Amino acid sequence: MNHLRLFSPALLAVVVAIGCAGSKPQDASAEADKAAAPAAEQPAAPVTSAPGAQGSGSVTGMVKFEGTAPVQAKVKMNADPICQQQHADPVLAEEVVVNSNNTLKNVFVYVKEGVNGSYPAPTEPVVLAQRGCWYSPHVFGIQVGQPLQIVNDDATLHNVNSKSKGKTNKPFNIAQPSKDMKTEKKFSEVEVLVPFKCNVHPWMHAFAGVVSNPFYAVTDESGNFTIKGLPAGTYTIEAVQEKYGPQTQQVTIGDGESKTAEFTFKAE
Amino acid sequence: MKQNYRVLGVCFVAISAFFASGSPAMASKPEPDLELGKKAFLDTCARCHGPDGKAEVPFAKRFYPRPRNLTSGVFKFRSTVSGTPPTDDDLFRTVEQGLHGSNMPDWKFLPPETRWQIVNYVKTLSPIFQDSQPEPIQTAADPGAHADKTKGRQVYEQLGCASCHGNQGRANGTSAAGLVDDWGMPVRPANLTQGWNYRGGSAPKDIMTRLLAGIDGAGMPSYTGAVTPEDAWHLAYYVQSLQEPAHWNPIADGAYINGALPSKPDDARWNSVQATDLQLRHALEPDGSWKDAPTVNLVRVQVAYNDSEIAVRLSWDDPTEDASAEAADRASLVLRPEGVNGDIVGLQVWPYQGAPELNLCTWTAGGTLSGEIVAKSFEPSVLENNPKATLSASAAYQKDGRWELVLQRPMKQSSVPGSAALEPGRLVPIAVVIWDGAVPEARAVSPWLDVRLGSVSP
Repeated sequence: MNHLRLFSPALLAVVVAIGCAGSKPQDASAEADKAAAPAAEQPAAPVTSAPGAQGSGSVTGMVKFEGTAPVQAKVKMNADPICQQQHADPVLAEEVVVNSNNTLKNVFVYVKEGVNGSYPAPTEPVVLAQRGCWYSPHVFGIQVGQPLQIVNDDATLHNVNSKSKGKTNKPFNIAQPSKDMKTEKKFSEVEVLVPFKCNVHPWMHAFAGVVSNPFYAVTDESGNFTIKGLPAGTYTIEAVQEKYGPQTQQVTIGDGESKTAEFTFKAE
Repeated sequence: MKQNYRVLGVCFVAISAFFASGSPAMASKPEPDLELGKKAFLDTCARCHGPDGKAEVPFAKRFYPRPRNLTSGVFKFRSTVSGTPPTDDDLFRTVEQGLHGSNMPDWKFLPPETRWQIVNYVKTLSPIFQDSQPEPIQTAADPGAHADKTKGRQVYEQLGCASCHGNQGRANGTSAAGLVDDWGMPVRPANLTQGWNYRGGSAPKDIMTRLLAGIDGAGMPSYTGAVTPEDAWHLAYYVQSLQEPAHWNPIADGAYINGALPSKPDDARWNSVQATDLQLRHALEPDGSWKDAPTVNLVRVQVAYNDSEIAVRLSWDDPTEDASAEAADRASLVLRPEGVNGDIVGLQVWPYQGAPELNLCTWTAGGTLSGEIVAKSFEPSVLENNPKATLSASAAYQKDGRWELVLQRPMKQSSVPGSAALEPGRLVPIAVVIWDGAVPEARAVSPWLDVRLGSVSP
């Protein structure tokens, strides 16, 4: 028995072939692990930091509501006459807003998984206004690193109490005592949803969906949303309602294709 | 040989100078010893904050405010930007001095080394100390004697402080009721007249720091960016000028008055009667919890007497005047019925099983339900349904959130069997219970105060 037989070219070829073929299944399983690993809460970071592609595909849809719509509470603003005098009619709380066509307004919809590459944060700020002692908009999306400009449009004291729970997103509580006062903040990591409130006017609430790409939307008065500019791919779309929580769906779109996704939340 | 000694001598002097000139914190801050810190934490802090720092111990619910969950990463008393962790010195200060007016005591009896190790251990309880760095707030130099309190008042108005703290700082702003902290517990804005109750200290530097850093978790926002560091000082000196010194007399002196007693709270003769302040605590439910955060923290007591009657003037801050039949502001002067003097009666938990009866002289705003009885409970129905003696009462609500009341009764109240029979030459124990009609579940009770009527015979 000659030792040299162990290194016969055929054996060598087989070993090399196994080695090379083995890499692809390993890569695929690594990606699957990454996608499955994060606890249901936060989306995974992009796989690479190469610039993300812009496509022409889109996901449109609506968020429906089933069951008896909860009554929207009337908000009493008598704690502050400056607030009260800006509203002739009572203002209704926005925790659950059911549109006339039985859909939900203010649901944050975004692509939670499937996006590759990085999308630079826009320099254009998202503006969160305090007007009539009410946050406007109630729910909004913003990218990591994009400026959030918080503006006081009222001639009264508001404080902006933001309760981030991320590792690097800092919670903060800042006072804006005068009209036209602006503060700029930025988020450094993905977090859906970050709550905002005012202690002086405890009926005020807003929510930020902080994401790492531009593929998000907030449903309107008809419950509709559209997410545009997607390259071909398989995506996990998540819809989050502030009271009812998240729901997800998978959508696969081809180049330039438009698909629909519908979500339904039930009354509790 | 001689040269070596000289060098040694110089080194010795240099090293001593180094240690002597360093700040106290720098000179005595030891290397972290987490084992020592953990042991000290478990020995002293865990009884309220829990062995894991989460403050889930069964009796934490009796405290207002609750002991801090040290794992949450939210710290109220810092010198840092809102959302960033406290500095080591901030934590050391809280451990050393406690939080005035709360149940966090000072730990001055612990050696400084132990206090530092507790700080080091506390920092391991929350990831915020790894994830984030303390960012000191930007401050200006203390203007001291050049502080401008008039400017400070202007700043107070511009920054909207009155919306929570009230126009005169008496915590009766329009947004004061209904504040909740980050843990969903009701919380009250500070009554700025009560310097003894400022958790983080009542000196202008402390006030300035609270303003710029905010009190994370409690609702007080950071005013960094909304006010200049210089103006923050002027405001701090103005706020200090709102403080009313407290009179913590262990024994109160009643004033003997020849003739009729001052039956109205604004009678000028009260100005020469000694005042004693009593800190009020929230009453506890049978399970040891409290129902709502108290709005009344302090009552000021003055006692005057003559040969036949005794008058007690009470003054307390209440954010709202409530005088409706369903929910009225109320005050009870509590006396010991005859034969009960020896019992220790904790008003925070009275009535409890086996508790003695108490002699209550109760006044209710709006004129309903006043009178004197000996009763087993504070329930209004007891006063309503049982024979009672008329109580002479005169009350005035100052529109900036303060009640003033004079209750008058005979020294010996013959029409209420078993009631306290008072006479000069004795120490008379009294207590006060206050209800804010707006928060009926949060009656506030005082400790017992001994009042000396004339010189006490041995």
